[in-house]
Amino acid sequence: MNCFEARQEFSALWRKTATAERRAELLAHLKGCEKCDHAFRVFALTAPVLHGEMERDAARVSRPARREFSLADRPRRFASVSREVALSRQPIRWLAMSAAAAIFVFAASTAYLSTRTPNEPLGEALSIPETSMNSETAGDPLAPEMPMTESDLAS
Amino acid sequence: MLGLSARSREWWRLSAKPDEELIAEVLGGDSGAFTELAGRHRPRVERLCRRFFSDEEMARDIAQESFIRAYTALATYRAEMPFGGWLRAIVVNLCYDELRRRRRRPEELVGDFSAPEVQWMQTANVASPEEIVGDAEERREAYDLAHRLLDTLKPEDRMVMVLKESEDMSVSDIAETLGWSEAKVKIRAFRARQALRKQAERMLAAGRNRLQS
Repeated sequence: MNCFEARQEFSALWRKTATAERRAELLAHLKGCEKCDHAFRVFALTAPVLHGEMERDAARVSRPARREFSLADRPRRFASVSREVALSRQPIRWLAMSAAAAIFVFAASTAYLSTRTPNEPLGEALSIPETSMNSETAGDPLAPEMPMTESDLAS
Repeated sequence: MLGLSARSREWWRLSAKPDEELIAEVLGGDSGAFTELAGRHRPRVERLCRRFFSDEEMARDIAQESFIRAYTALATYRAEMPFGGWLRAIVVNLCYDELRRRRRRPEELVGDFSAPEVQWMQTANVASPEEIVGDAEERREAYDLAHRLLDTLKPEDRMVMVLKESEDMSVSDIAETLGWSEAKVKIRAFRARQALRKQAERMLAAGRNRLQS
């Protein structure tokens, strides 16, 4: 095996796909050739990513269970695609927004009508018309005090 | 298929179909067929993403994003090329965009190495080739350091390096996937190999120095 052939076999040695014979030839060459031995050491520094079995490497890192494909499960970084996907869902979104707006308007109106002050001015609201000054208002603690008459003084 | 649940029957029905039939079903409105299609290609897609990014979460995010892109653009797929190749082009372009987005400088390589990383660098210096292969399998540091080395490359160089070395793609395939000329791919590959060798030599030397001190 010459140097060129040996370097072609680096990847097969790393991936363990070389035949036993080729593997032995390569190892023998590396033992005798300083340049190829050094080249293999340089190769080994990047081989875990460029020539490794990534499933096995990834398994070494703890990872959650594999997810099923789902459009809702998209990363937030990719806004452009999110927009594309969102466009296809617009009818549902508009329906939800309209319902939310209607509920808000109804709730706000109810709250306003239940707490609003009378329209008439304050002076008018506090003054009591003369027609209402009858016996029915006598027991009212809030009714204005009536002037005393002569019969009251006699008793 | 007596005794199987409806879901199992559906799985059997879909798993027996080739990609093209599944695509036709997706375009016909059956999104369940895309789940089967994605499941088929997910290992390859995730493996490719992990060659670009050491961060596992990032790799899976980009893989997921690739499937979303494929789903939304499925109507533009033409059956002249295999679905796997079409999907790979989407993955590669997404990875390329992400690499360009977070472009790194070569100076970042020379930094602090952890004790396990130094151990691995020393192994790469002195152990026999068989020991190196065996040791790399057991060490997460080997994987991380390889990523650090590749991070020193320009995004264009890294793309070419990964596609050529890992995916065994030809120059013309890479050129077509990235929309470059073949000459550009060749030049990038040459420069990438040179730059990577230079950085790896530095890393080996750092391991040797630690060994001697």
